[in-house]
Amino acid sequence: MSTGIVTTDLRKTFPVRRWQGWRRRPAAAPVAAVDGLSLRIPPGQVTGLLGLNGAGKTTTIRILSTLLRPTGGTVSVDGLDVVEHAREVRRRINVISGGERMVYDRLTARENLWYFGQLYDVPRARLRARIDELLDLVGLTEAAQVPVERFSRGMRQRLVIARGLINDPAYLLLDEPTLGLDAPIAHQLRALIAQLAADGVGVLLTSHYLAEVEQLCRHVYLIARGSLVAQGSPAQLAGQTVRRHTVRLVLAVADPAVTAVLRALAERHGAELTVDVDDEGRPRFTLRHPQDLVGAVVTAVVQAGGAVAGLTVTPPTLEDAILTLTDAQAVAVR
Amino acid sequence: MSHALRVVAAEALKQHRRLFGQPLVLFSMLLWPLLTLAATYYTVLPVMESAVAPQRWPVAGDPRRLLSFLAAGALAYTFFFSLVQSAWHFSFERVSGTLEALFLSPASRMALVIGNGAAALTQNAWLFGCFAVAAATAADVLHVAHPGMYAVAALALLVPAVAWGAFLNSMLIFSRDSAFLYTLLDDPLWFVAGVRLPLFALPVWVKAVGLAFPLTSSLVVLRGALLDRADLGDLAAPLGWLAALTVGLFAAASALLRLGEARAQRTGGLQVF
Amino acid sequence: MSVMAATFVRNWRITLRAYPWTYFVGTLATGVLTIGVSMLAYRAIGGGRVGASFTAATGSADYLGYVTVGAAALTFTTRMVLWVAKAQITEYREGTLESQLLTPARRLPYLLGVTAQALSTTAVEITVLVAVATALGVRLTVADPLTLLAATVAATVAVVGMSVPLSALMLAAGEAHITQNTLFTAMALLCGFTFPTSYLPDAARWLGEALPVTWALRVLRAATLPGTDVDPWPAFAVCVVLGGAYLLLGLSILDPAERRALHRSARA
Repeated sequence: MSTGIVTTDLRKTFPVRRWQGWRRRPAAAPVAAVDGLSLRIPPGQVTGLLGLNGAGKTTTIRILSTLLRPTGGTVSVDGLDVVEHAREVRRRINVISGGERMVYDRLTARENLWYFGQLYDVPRARLRARIDELLDLVGLTEAAQVPVERFSRGMRQRLVIARGLINDPAYLLLDEPTLGLDAPIAHQLRALIAQLAADGVGVLLTSHYLAEVEQLCRHVYLIARGSLVAQGSPAQLAGQTVRRHTVRLVLAVADPAVTAVLRALAERHGAELTVDVDDEGRPRFTLRHPQDLVGAVVTAVVQAGGAVAGLTVTPPTLEDAILTLTDAQAVAVR
Repeated sequence: MSHALRVVAAEALKQHRRLFGQPLVLFSMLLWPLLTLAATYYTVLPVMESAVAPQRWPVAGDPRRLLSFLAAGALAYTFFFSLVQSAWHFSFERVSGTLEALFLSPASRMALVIGNGAAALTQNAWLFGCFAVAAATAADVLHVAHPGMYAVAALALLVPAVAWGAFLNSMLIFSRDSAFLYTLLDDPLWFVAGVRLPLFALPVWVKAVGLAFPLTSSLVVLRGALLDRADLGDLAAPLGWLAALTVGLFAAASALLRLGEARAQRTGGLQVF
Repeated sequence: MSVMAATFVRNWRITLRAYPWTYFVGTLATGVLTIGVSMLAYRAIGGGRVGASFTAATGSADYLGYVTVGAAALTFTTRMVLWVAKAQITEYREGTLESQLLTPARRLPYLLGVTAQALSTTAVEITVLVAVATALGVRLTVADPLTLLAATVAATVAVVGMSVPLSALMLAAGEAHITQNTLFTAMALLCGFTFPTSYLPDAARWLGEALPVTWALRVLRAATLPGTDVDPWPAFAVCVVLGGAYLLLGLSILDPAERRALHRSARA
């Protein structure tokens, strides 16, 4: 039996119906939200699923969590097919979506967890202790008896996280879990995700915060239009892109001569140049180019008699990788 | 089975928190039915006072019997309508995102809708139920063949109501325009079920439509057992039909849940109708 | 005037794009089925006759006409209240109340614009109800068109008068469902829509006398009940005075209610 969540050639098309005269009819070509996706989410590590909006991330998570049935391909969770053994699969997985949905306003935090504990058939003897653990984990022990309608947004989101853990899931699917969270809570959640993975939980993470992905994920799948574009560790993915180095240079005082020299240099190399001022009102130049132009820039500025007040060089990031790889795919499709 | 019972208990808590102590219950389950009952009584009174009315319908000649006939109708209608209301509310869970959380869980869907209906019924209708029992006792209008008939009347009201609730919940979870169904099941329901008129006064086609709703037969049993000294033998036909309807409603609920969830898994939307 | 016209046009646009069918079907069903129950009872139980108390109270034996006119009037009242009294809480819920209060426009022309638009759609709905009743076999007579016009004016004044304090109440409570349905069920009992108010116990009857709609109905009865020879103008005068008093009361409490609503949404 293979462990982990394994998808093979996963496909999902949604029937689209359009108005045609007085009736709605199926459109000629159904929309493919997921198109031939093969992934593996092993236990004990965080796997990333990245893509732009509409790439098929949420659809994938909804298929893995049994809410949607695939049109083609297979998904198994620890060898159990999600369609055939939906109930058994539901016991082993859970989903946490960003935002404040999925909990009841009128119930207290403890009652919400108790309610979902009953639905997940958490053994009676275990449930009480589990609720206490979770309330402690998300820092809601003090507010356990307060109805959720009186919660702040951050408190609700923490309860949503606790709900997703009520059944001690073997696999946790996280759909933008830190969306809208305050920085300290997001930080705690990232620590929690890392800890869960260390404890053996298989985690799938989608996120817009790429720093989060780079920090947590050992393996990342990058998808666009429902298909796999690239995969590997965050560092490998970043390396696959056309490298774009960013050189940021701040001058002590404005100097038209230096500006002219830098413009000429950018034009010569075909680099992208933006000129603005930093927080202290000093002129700031930002150059982006596949090659690291830092040496040429410094030489040119010094020769023109400019005084360098600050200099940073940023190597290409995962964000660059996503933008360039998905752009390339979009171009290829067109 | 024990998992299913736990789901029912969980739904009971949810309904308790949603409804208990809410002013809406007091209004919609006691004040409005009473005001409407009074208005109905006065509206039909001119007809009941006509010279021929008591010959055609003995109840018409006695204002107290007329009022208890209408009050029994209001009681049963309030019970059944409380389930329409809770099912309508259940459909809001689609918007709040909690419905998705329910479908993520391994809980039996049937246990969910039955639990939701049964819990809503007890949370909603106890007030009017108590009021009706107290009023009927004080006014001395109850005529029962033997004490066992109280139990028959209660069961004939509650069991079909729970089946009705399970059916409505299943239907409204997947309904696009739940407000429309809600409206459809408000006034037309009392009209076809003989809530405000004896069944003989209704045209045949209305009676035929009314038979499809469990409220109609529940009401026949309730009035017969509590007001007209009917025994089990007298009520065998409506009780049998009620049992068949109850089974049918549970079966329909189960089918709707299966079809609805399968469709939701296919199309990604929880709206079927 | 321009505020009134602009509100009228805006509401017509919204109505044409998203007509609230559900409310319409709901209120129409209530009206039609009330007529239906009375008709079935009248034929199957009463044998086409009514008791002496009805004839004594109304001066007429036209029970079905009485109930039909009453059901139509109840539909009119319900629909108009739903439009006018709920206008502001709907804006509040949709988040447009604030942008409305930011403008220098006054409240009364706004509410009159809503009323004008509500009258035009409600007229269509009442026509449908009366057509259904006629199809069912009810025969209605209009004794005096001028009195009918006066009755419509009286009913509009009464409904708008009651809607404004109601609007303030809804805004202050942040709730419409309980308020509106309590009003509808209470009015159906107290104002004499489907039976003469003389049937009611004294206390209930006095409550009914305090509502302008009760007086508007008296003008309407004078216009539609055959064989009665009642002077409608005293009732008309009482209705206008009473409706005006409600309106003034409503306008005076609208401002604090609006502030309270904004306070609540700022806190949330």
